[in-house]
Amino acid sequence: MTTNGVATADAAAVPATGDRPGPGFWIGLIVGGAVMAFGVRGVFMDSRGTRPVALAGWIVGADLVHDLVIAPIAVAVGWTIGRLVPRGWRTPITTGLVATGVVLVVAWPALRGYGRAVVPDNPSVQPLAYGTAVAWVLGAVWIGVAIWLVIRWWGARSRR
Amino acid sequence: MSSRLAPPKVGPFRPGAFASPARSERTAAVLGLALGVSFGICFLTGLYSHLAQHPPSWFHLSARPAGLYRITQGLHVATGLAAIPLLLAKLWTVFPKLFSWPPFPSVAVALERICLLPLVGGSLFLLFSGLANINLWYPWPFNFPLAHYWTAWITIGALIVHIGAKVSVTRRALRRSAPTLTDHHDDSAATVNAGMSRRQLLATAFGVSGLVTLVTVGQTYGPLRKLALLAPRRPDVGPQGFPVNRTARAAGVLESARSSEYRLEITGRGATATTFDLAELQAMTQHRATLPIACVEGWSTTQEWEGVRLRDLLRRAGVSTDSTVRVESLQPRRSYRTSNVDGSQTADPDTLLALRVNGAPLDIDHGYPLRLIAPNRPGVMQTKWVTRVVVL
Repeated sequence: MTTNGVATADAAAVPATGDRPGPGFWIGLIVGGAVMAFGVRGVFMDSRGTRPVALAGWIVGADLVHDLVIAPIAVAVGWTIGRLVPRGWRTPITTGLVATGVVLVVAWPALRGYGRAVVPDNPSVQPLAYGTAVAWVLGAVWIGVAIWLVIRWWGARSRR
Repeated sequence: MSSRLAPPKVGPFRPGAFASPARSERTAAVLGLALGVSFGICFLTGLYSHLAQHPPSWFHLSARPAGLYRITQGLHVATGLAAIPLLLAKLWTVFPKLFSWPPFPSVAVALERICLLPLVGGSLFLLFSGLANINLWYPWPFNFPLAHYWTAWITIGALIVHIGAKVSVTRRALRRSAPTLTDHHDDSAATVNAGMSRRQLLATAFGVSGLVTLVTVGQTYGPLRKLALLAPRRPDVGPQGFPVNRTARAAGVLESARSSEYRLEITGRGATATTFDLAELQAMTQHRATLPIACVEGWSTTQEWEGVRLRDLLRRAGVSTDSTVRVESLQPRRSYRTSNVDGSQTADPDTLLALRVNGAPLDIDHGYPLRLIAPNRPGVMQTKWVTRVVVL
């Protein structure tokens, strides 16, 4: 199997997953299938709490949001960096952007104060000023990126 | 292959549509291995937490090691958070495979690809719902613990199928001697992309994972608490210097907990019904215990508790000191109003009905006048505002 650009003509000639399924695949399918069936059974057994239709919607929705929104955005950002950013700067900038994105995802509920809204009388939930906290973390990230860029620039200059 | 099966040469189906050299079998294998370990840790620690809260007849929550639940649940949340960038990097790496053509070349591949739906959707759901839950944010109509728990079984099942399908590819990709196409192309990608090599991509994924850990793990690991900038809790912030999950107001016990009518009652099988008022409890031999309070949501903190031993109270009521009991709170009917204490924990000298913490009477949000504190228990089972102990 080719390693990138899976949809090449070569790749199409080989099944998408490469090797012929060995015994490992069938054992995994039987064991994993049984475990999945146990989980599905649990969802329906506890259906008053799990709300199977809503839960299935969230799981399939997570797939769709990733494939139709998150991944295309990531690809577009990568493409834009490839167009706009000089070659030597791309990795530090990309790393900075990835870190920024993940930090914002992790901090999002606290940043928006969703937990505090649920328990307004409990000041020990989300006790910090998260706007400031996120600014500190991202500040550190981008200072790191800047230092990395300077080192690269310095290295490139002294090699010349 | 007949021309019928030729890939449509548009958009993401075009040859070379995804140009980054960082998308290699080896990248996918390394990230897959890391995610397999992370999800394995999350599954086992989550299972332990579930068993602790809903023990089947064969499961007994041991009292020792006292900090075990603190470690397992701290690990559960920290590992889940650390897995977020790893999962995103993995999905980015294998995204082109979504467009592989023909989509279902064989029954085996069809089965494997169908299982990717619960694997990817389930993994994203588990990480997102866990993140929302530690922030006490519930933007869905279902019960979080049940949905998270059963989805974990479905996702782990799909993961087992995936591992079975990928084990030989992964093994091959991880062998150093097997260079992949990208190894020769690392810094010479001719096409437009962000220009990361495989190593750089992996370094970024693991680096960001480490960053997330660094700025959140302080909610359970005290020495790093000042760095816990993105954690929803600080282990040293709250009344009397540590966090609260449910306040007295939210529990509806503001009046009953402060009432002069307050009594502790010991009843149940074989017990001589006995009641104690606050002064009687304070007059009993007081014992100290240094024990963690470890929340299911991943924060934890160790405090100095002081109060009466549960086993002393049982002895006064004339029942065996290792009886299994149900501890009931003053709060009106709501989830976590009661919790069961297994005989192995009841008998432990550190299992207290605490009146004081860190040298002062309990704050009402920490369970004044009386709360259960025992070794190795999930925080939601350290019942607050205790008014009744029922021998089972």
